[in-house]
Amino acid sequence: MTRDIPVQISIARGLRWSRANLFNSRVNSLLTIFALLVAAVLGFVVLRFVLFDANWGLVAINRKLFFVGSYPADEAFRIWIVVFLGAALASLTYGVWIGRLRSYLLTIAIVAVIILTFGLGLEFQIREFEFTNTIESGGQTTVVTGIDRQLIQSGGWAPGWLYALSFGLAVPFGGPWLLLAGVFAVLAAGAVVGRELARWRESPILRQAFGAAWVLLIPLVVVLQIGISTLHWESILLDFLVFAIGGFFSFVIGLFLALGRFSPYRAIRVASIGYIETVRAAPLLVWLLFATFLQDELGPLGVAFSSIDLVFRVMFVFAFFGGAYIAEVVRGGLQSIPRGQFEASDAIGLNATQKYAFIILPQAIKAVIPAIIGRFIALWKDTALLAAISLVNTLEKAKKVLAGQSDIAEGAFFEVYLIVALIYWVVSYLLSRLGSAAESRLGENPRQTR
Amino acid sequence: MSHQLGEEIVRLEGVVKRFGDFTALNGVDVTIREREVVVIIGPSGSGKSTLLRTINQLERHDEGRIVVDGTELTDDARTLTKIRTETGMVFQSFNLFPHLTVLRNITLAPQKVRHMPQREAEDLARSLLERVGIPEQAEKFPGQLSGGQQQRVAIARALAMNPKVMMFDEPTSALDPEMINEVLRAMEELSESGMTMICVTHEMGFARNVADRVIFMDEGEIVEIGTAEQFFNNPRRRRTKLFLDQILTH
Repeated sequence: MTRDIPVQISIARGLRWSRANLFNSRVNSLLTIFALLVAAVLGFVVLRFVLFDANWGLVAINRKLFFVGSYPADEAFRIWIVVFLGAALASLTYGVWIGRLRSYLLTIAIVAVIILTFGLGLEFQIREFEFTNTIESGGQTTVVTGIDRQLIQSGGWAPGWLYALSFGLAVPFGGPWLLLAGVFAVLAAGAVVGRELARWRESPILRQAFGAAWVLLIPLVVVLQIGISTLHWESILLDFLVFAIGGFFSFVIGLFLALGRFSPYRAIRVASIGYIETVRAAPLLVWLLFATFLQDELGPLGVAFSSIDLVFRVMFVFAFFGGAYIAEVVRGGLQSIPRGQFEASDAIGLNATQKYAFIILPQAIKAVIPAIIGRFIALWKDTALLAAISLVNTLEKAKKVLAGQSDIAEGAFFEVYLIVALIYWVVSYLLSRLGSAAESRLGENPRQTR
Repeated sequence: MSHQLGEEIVRLEGVVKRFGDFTALNGVDVTIREREVVVIIGPSGSGKSTLLRTINQLERHDEGRIVVDGTELTDDARTLTKIRTETGMVFQSFNLFPHLTVLRNITLAPQKVRHMPQREAEDLARSLLERVGIPEQAEKFPGQLSGGQQQRVAIARALAMNPKVMMFDEPTSALDPEMINEVLRAMEELSESGMTMICVTHEMGFARNVADRVIFMDEGEIVEIGTAEQFFNNPRRRRTKLFLDQILTH
């Protein structure tokens, strides 16, 4: 009984709130009712489509292609290692230095619930089976075994669940879904543990440990890919690698370019401005094509460009292109720092490097976090352009799936592209949430009154 | 007030500073000795702040010589760092680092420039905060403090480098009236401890009670230098009299 009281209170409070805010005048009441109607109709249409009318079969049977493309299935553990370590490190870092646990856990929960329930629902539409093929050629017999997937039903999301429920719920919670659930669990647990470590935030040992871990992650990604041709880097895997590595270096390059614009040496200033203006003057697509067809025409420079793998060239382009934009954003931040901060740093004897590292840059970057996050979100979505230079990104994979399985693809175009959109949304949403969390955490230090 | 004066610590000879067509300092000569407290007064635009700022080279002088503790100021980066660590400066607008705690504001320079261990730097910072009367504010951020408290943190920050000369550039001008005294008290305490101080200020009470010498500047030149008593009771120059009449009568 006692538990009812808070509920009653919160209902009463809700009613009072809606009376004060939604139904406080005749016009507002009409608007509220109208908005509710629109929302209801939209919700009904979307739900009916996702649950019943859609044809998810093609997505269900090709889920591996969407995640990792043609990456060898036996080697998938290499990706999972990186994903788990990356998730652990990212969430620990978040917990220690940002630590807004409630909104973080809520965000992770929203994304996890959407992906896992949706993905698991699709598992009911397929059946995995082991196959054995015997190939005879030239008197030799080779036996090939493996696991393949077969479509057992196709359609909306709901029937599978209803079917499963009626048979006592045999949720196919295995394989990648179990691992993915593990990733979400690590993301949540890491932040909680990180929050506990936060009391040693100022300790140099903790800082150095995290710094070293992050620096080691990139070589680890590379080492783990030894022996796997970049031709097998496809779909989400490709998009994310290009974004993560290109984005990381674009930030570093952007910082140096922004500082270059403030250099006391004219040559460095001119070079930085020239670089930024040149790179921004052409669309990313043109730079990507340039990188693709950059053979050895520039041979006299002594660099065999064509011997560099296309994927790495693309990462370079992302880093240098993104860097030019980040530089302009950071420049805005630098300009917003009052002159007194520079003078005070000089007056206590800091040298130029210390002045920027400890005083100017931390404040400048803090001031432009929303714009930097905006650039990262744009860079992430720019991976869609990789399709134009014959790399198989998520978008291109979707097209190939549709083209290659026309027998079951009929009428499934919309569904497939919806999934592509969902994939772009998930990362963009996480980035945007990360941005506002970082902002509110850093905003805790009230600005100096001047 | 008179302090036991020691050796010469700052000397300016014919210092000229121009901003474009405007001459901010027009041949300034002055010598300041250890433990001396000098107050510079004058109308706005007279070059008081510029004079301070050439001594730690926030402004590069165009002509003349500046010698601080036996080192002549040149373009050389090492000279620059040496001078800046030997002179502390307190600004009108505090210029604390808003993204760092009070403690970190104070420990930063000793740790990074003097390579003092963290523990030692923190002990130093806490004792300095104690000295300026706000030991309980160590973990706060500057934005959470009152103006008077911020300015006292700024004094502690400058003192942390153990400077030979402290310079104050209108330290109380941005403060609400009720906070001016707490800052002046900290400055007075500092002068009693034997610190060499050069203060640009409009606080005539402070000048009268604490200064060994008062310098009156106008249009980039030193018009008059004298002991506080002689300066206020018996000014020699007409311009000085006019200025004193203006600020003391309203």
